[in-house]
Amino acid sequence: MKIDRTKLQREIDLLWILTRKEIILQYKRTSLGIFWSLLNPLLLAFVFYIAFNIILGVHIPNFPLFILSALFPWTWFSTSVSASTVSLISNKSLIKKFPFPKHYLLIASVLSQGIHFVFSLPIIIILVYVYGKHVDIIWLTGIPILLIIQFMITIGLSLAVSVINVYFMDFQFIVGFLLQVLFWITPIVYKFDNIPEIYRTLFLYLNPLASLMSSWRELFMSNKIYWNWIGIALLGSISILFLGLAIFRRLSKRIDEVV
Amino acid sequence: MNHFVIDLEHIWKKYPAKKDRPGFKEFMVNFYKLIYKKRNHVNSDFYAIRDLTLKIKKGECIGIIGQNGAGKSTLLSIILGTILPSKGRVTVLGRVTPLLELGAGFHQDLTGRENIILNGILLGMTKLDVLRKMDTIIRFSELEEFIDLPVRTYSSGMYLRLAFSVAIHTDPKILIVDEVLSVGDERFQKKSKEVILKLIKGGITTVFVSHNLKDIEEICNRALWLRHGQVIAEGEPRMVTERYKKEMNKIG
Repeated sequence: MKIDRTKLQREIDLLWILTRKEIILQYKRTSLGIFWSLLNPLLLAFVFYIAFNIILGVHIPNFPLFILSALFPWTWFSTSVSASTVSLISNKSLIKKFPFPKHYLLIASVLSQGIHFVFSLPIIIILVYVYGKHVDIIWLTGIPILLIIQFMITIGLSLAVSVINVYFMDFQFIVGFLLQVLFWITPIVYKFDNIPEIYRTLFLYLNPLASLMSSWRELFMSNKIYWNWIGIALLGSISILFLGLAIFRRLSKRIDEVV
Repeated sequence: MNHFVIDLEHIWKKYPAKKDRPGFKEFMVNFYKLIYKKRNHVNSDFYAIRDLTLKIKKGECIGIIGQNGAGKSTLLSIILGTILPSKGRVTVLGRVTPLLELGAGFHQDLTGRENIILNGILLGMTKLDVLRKMDTIIRFSELEEFIDLPVRTYSSGMYLRLAFSVAIHTDPKILIVDEVLSVGDERFQKKSKEVILKLIKGGITTVFVSHNLKDIEEICNRALWLRHGQVIAEGEPRMVTERYKKEMNKIG
């Protein structure tokens, strides 16, 4: 089959404009604009510092770098998933009026949140040097791989969550709660090694975010890639992506009857 | 190969009787059925389109008439592709440009210019095409002074003018029109009507919904009368509108 260049160009442009729209709309009427997306995890990190270091007296070395190296990627994941719950409903005027692939809305939403994550990388780099570490060439391998894995997990979940929420509006509150649960069962405020040894395998295989977030942290803090973690996360992300796509395909066909 | 640009065969469109989204209990019960398409066929389901077959050749202009709720807009949306039929086959060759619910695709917080790009791409243009035509679109809409303001500051007339202007500059091949010959003030109405007529004469395929029977008789070369989702009459516009008028008088 011949590839239609105009058609391909149009698809790219569509994704571009939908992503741009998300970014513009999110911050259009705020004065700090895009900095909110950085400020939010930074403030949260500060709260964790007070709670853990000062109140509970748990001393984790290089705490700001430690927490942010997992909190920034987590923020990308969680803001994307929670934004996706309302994505189809808030874009219903577009869905009703234009025939275009509806999953582009979700991809655009995840991409626009991902751009915020990219903006947070300079902060990580600054912190790496503040704590006397260095940025290694291995980042060039690690970052793209982890970006792709995280993108697939996030898209997969976003697709499923967005379309289920159209049929069942209570779902957005359940998602909000589940995201909190997921936050605490993923090594973000604690290290993977803190998990009692007997549970580690369980964490690793049931929660692909555990290996993903730990991989981000190991990459940023010790310039290391654990390929077994990557393998597990990749497997999980592909399964989630295909499951999400399957659910979306099935349920989005009759979407015009409910939105 | 068939030579119809729009080919609808035995189309049915069913809507579930319930309007509200299901609650938790129903959702859990229905989830399985939803996924496996095993929904119970309850008699209370509403059919917006019933066994409709419509074949349109390139360059034809079809007028659709009928009372409110006859299924006219559903039919247009099925041709457009935003609604999938429950049963039947739809073949549409080429991009469909909608002139319906003008401005529905605008985002309040984006400026006129940003909305032109968003709408233009959603209507099937590339970004480059839109940028090339930007000045023409703005000039036609007569909104030069306001184009960099968010559209939430626009009046409803300005809103419609911008939407109309984007849509007709997308190089449409198939146009579906829903009662939009009344865009903006009288002068702009005249201007927009002229543009549509020029497009139709230029050989574009048009499906046209209107309550204005005179428009249908003047513009279209075939008319279709819908009632309860079924075709009551089809053919030469004057013949169809006469029958329709007679029926309306009987009821009225």
